[in-house]
Amino acid sequence: MASRLATLTSHMDKLYEFDREPVSSDKLQSGGKFAGLFAGEHVAATEFVIGAFFVLHGVGARDLLLGLLFGNLLAVLSWTFICAPIAVRTRLTLYWYLRKIAGPGVTFIYNIANAFLYCILAGAMISVSATAIGLAFGIKVPALDAVLPTSVGWVVLTFAIGTAFTTVAVLGFEKLSRFAEVCSPWIFVVFIAGAVAMLPRLGVHPNLDNLWEVATTKIWNGVAVAGQEKLGFGHVLFFAWFCNLAMHVGLSDMALFRYAKKWTYGLFTAFGVYPGHLLAWICSGVMVAAIGRQMDPGRMAFEAAGLAGTFGLLLAGWTTANPTLYRAGLALQTVTPNWPRWKITLVAGAATTVLSCFPVFFLKLLDYVAIYGLVLMPIGAIVFAEHWIFPRLRIEQYMAEKRGWTFNWSALIAWLGTLVICFSLPLHLYFRWLPGWFIALASYTVLMASRRKEGVR
Amino acid sequence: MKTRIPAVLSLTSLALCLVSPVLFFAGKISERTYRLAFLLTSIAWFVFAILWASAARKREGKP
Repeated sequence: MASRLATLTSHMDKLYEFDREPVSSDKLQSGGKFAGLFAGEHVAATEFVIGAFFVLHGVGARDLLLGLLFGNLLAVLSWTFICAPIAVRTRLTLYWYLRKIAGPGVTFIYNIANAFLYCILAGAMISVSATAIGLAFGIKVPALDAVLPTSVGWVVLTFAIGTAFTTVAVLGFEKLSRFAEVCSPWIFVVFIAGAVAMLPRLGVHPNLDNLWEVATTKIWNGVAVAGQEKLGFGHVLFFAWFCNLAMHVGLSDMALFRYAKKWTYGLFTAFGVYPGHLLAWICSGVMVAAIGRQMDPGRMAFEAAGLAGTFGLLLAGWTTANPTLYRAGLALQTVTPNWPRWKITLVAGAATTVLSCFPVFFLKLLDYVAIYGLVLMPIGAIVFAEHWIFPRLRIEQYMAEKRGWTFNWSALIAWLGTLVICFSLPLHLYFRWLPGWFIALASYTVLMASRRKEGVR
Repeated sequence: MKTRIPAVLSLTSLALCLVSPVLFFAGKISERTYRLAFLLTSIAWFVFAILWASAARKREGKP
């Protein structure tokens, strides 16, 4: 067992070898590059679903606008004050920094958890794309409460799309990544165009004099559709904040910010989140209201922008599922170290395709996004504690690396213990991560403080 | 120069993509015309943006 783990660890290290060393000063990137990078992110197929769900959940117009405005601000500040400073000081990826802190064993578990969560996310993107193609073949989108596949047609469709996405990812990930860069600004335009074109259907006058009235009575009217939970300002605020939780508070964007000249470059994430997580969500809300508040992204895109809208939805799913499959493959490669890239992408793609058949992942996307962030968030708190709190409390840093621990049990206990507590907290799922972060921070600090003597020995 | 022309053309196409829904909203064109115009300007964006990206990569010496 020990030798197997040592072999896995050694292979896992080789995979990430290229970014093992801290980034040198000549490789640092300008603020403009960061602004451009983030501007191209955060416009995915899932935006068609998230914005629409706020309408179905009966969010009021004022709650939506204020919630998104401040929630996204909190997300930007989390990148700026939590993620970027640690990345700039260490110049390391989370993988290597976590390895120093928690040991290769915990890093391995983190990788596998991440891969599994990525596969579900990519599966949701495939499902969303399936609604675009399904429209042409008359395949009905599963009902909002569906968990299992609802028809043979849906299974065949998601399998076909998943297979196509996986094949392209296997054949040429890099070319598609370049194509995705071209798609990104246009997909954003599809959102804007679709929403503008749907305004007459909702009764908005060309001089916009009744825009707010339509917004509050016909779009975000505060009435949830049957079977959907009513959400308000706090839910929207927290959702906008945590929808990239694994990236900012969870610190996985250290991989990007280690190239930043200054930690203040975290503010450039505003160029991504405000168009993607404010404008695009508002646009998809307008579109879903115009088609009678039905969760059918394919029909939404087609009715809003015609054939181009259908392609927009398909491309949004494709171009965002592709890097997600790649990341899942990279994380999974730690378990199958001798496999070539194509083989592991194939396995990740196959798993993703199977998951995409289950409509629950895109129909419960808001909850899934919350769980995804929640599961990975304690790792961010552990790294934060080790980086900022330990020196102040004179707790020795990087004990796992110095003592050669495979597992830093304190990190593992703090991580899993936090999750157990979070899932039993009497709070709405959206609000649980915040006390969870402090629980992880405090429990890890206390556990490691109690091992001070062990360190001295 | 080789990157400037496709850059200008692609950005113009993208801007035109936004013009057609605005014209439809203002009641100046029909829904059918809007959808066709949006499709054509979208195709134009992809053609010119791919040319732009390829020219930029060549200039940077990337394959």
